[in-house]
Amino acid sequence: MASVSNEGQRPPGRTALTDMTVMTHDNPDGGKPGLVITELAHLGKINLRGGSDMLPVISNHTGCSALPDNNRVVSVGDRHIVWLGPDEFLLLCAAGSETHLHSQLTLDMAGIHAAVTNVTDSLCALSLRGKAVRRVLAKGCALDLHSSKFGTGDCAQTMLAHAAVTLIAHDAPGFTLVCRTSFAPYVTEWLMDAGLEFGASFRG
Amino acid sequence: MLLITCPHCGPRDESEFSCGGEAHIARPLAENNLTDAEFADYLFLRDNPKGLFLERWRHAAGCRRWFNMARDTVTHEIVEIYPMGSGPASQAGKAAHAASWRRDTAAEAAAKPAPKARAKKEQVS
Repeated sequence: MASVSNEGQRPPGRTALTDMTVMTHDNPDGGKPGLVITELAHLGKINLRGGSDMLPVISNHTGCSALPDNNRVVSVGDRHIVWLGPDEFLLLCAAGSETHLHSQLTLDMAGIHAAVTNVTDSLCALSLRGKAVRRVLAKGCALDLHSSKFGTGDCAQTMLAHAAVTLIAHDAPGFTLVCRTSFAPYVTEWLMDAGLEFGASFRG
Repeated sequence: MLLITCPHCGPRDESEFSCGGEAHIARPLAENNLTDAEFADYLFLRDNPKGLFLERWRHAAGCRRWFNMARDTVTHEIVEIYPMGSGPASQAGKAAHAASWRRDTAAEAAAKPAPKARAKKEQVS
């Protein structure tokens, strides 16, 4: 699965982490920081509620051939469909494309018992990379994060240090973490603190 | 801490769940006249058994779906997890359901249409 990314320039506008200072705690053992946090600023997020009859419409706009199974993610290009519940999905798309995609989906869902909600600004997405990512997350998360149990294309809604988050695992040793916008500064600060012993860097 | 197997998400930590208390409490229908004392059984009284207890739980930090669970309040053993709207399937769960004092209450009997009302409805249809 391709990792979620915001290619090109950081889009304009304030985000949850605009005011956070870019900083790096050096790796005490030398070398690269074990955890690198980057905000996926304004990454498009659309919440989809509905049954399997949404598939043709979603497929039309994302190119996916099937909705994800439980705890799984389906990715086609820069569009990712994240399983959130038996009738709930989160669609991630490139920053700036969500408004058009949302209106298209809403139009095409007419007649289907479904809800399409643009939640781009209610949620904050972080990219977590580095060798120590799993060990840092494990400090505040009860989920079994071993790569054999939580590997490529897996996702989970869970608690990280008392904050509700959605974790998405990629093939590279990296995660996308989605949390409430209002929780983003807390989660980022917690991650920086938990990553101290491995070296941690917040790139903004 | 309990390891609870969410029917949708799989085994998760107890802290992700919220307990909704006693399961299988049917709301009395308005057409059945109950006294306040009888209605109180439905509205206020909750069981607190020592042993197997049928409870409602919700995966609050995950898929946010409700489900039922048969849990032993002494040993914390989770005997069974089953969907909302259905009864327990295990022997022990069935026995706990049948043994509850609630089965004999007027409130529970009043959750079904009264025989007269049923007859009327059948005539109409």
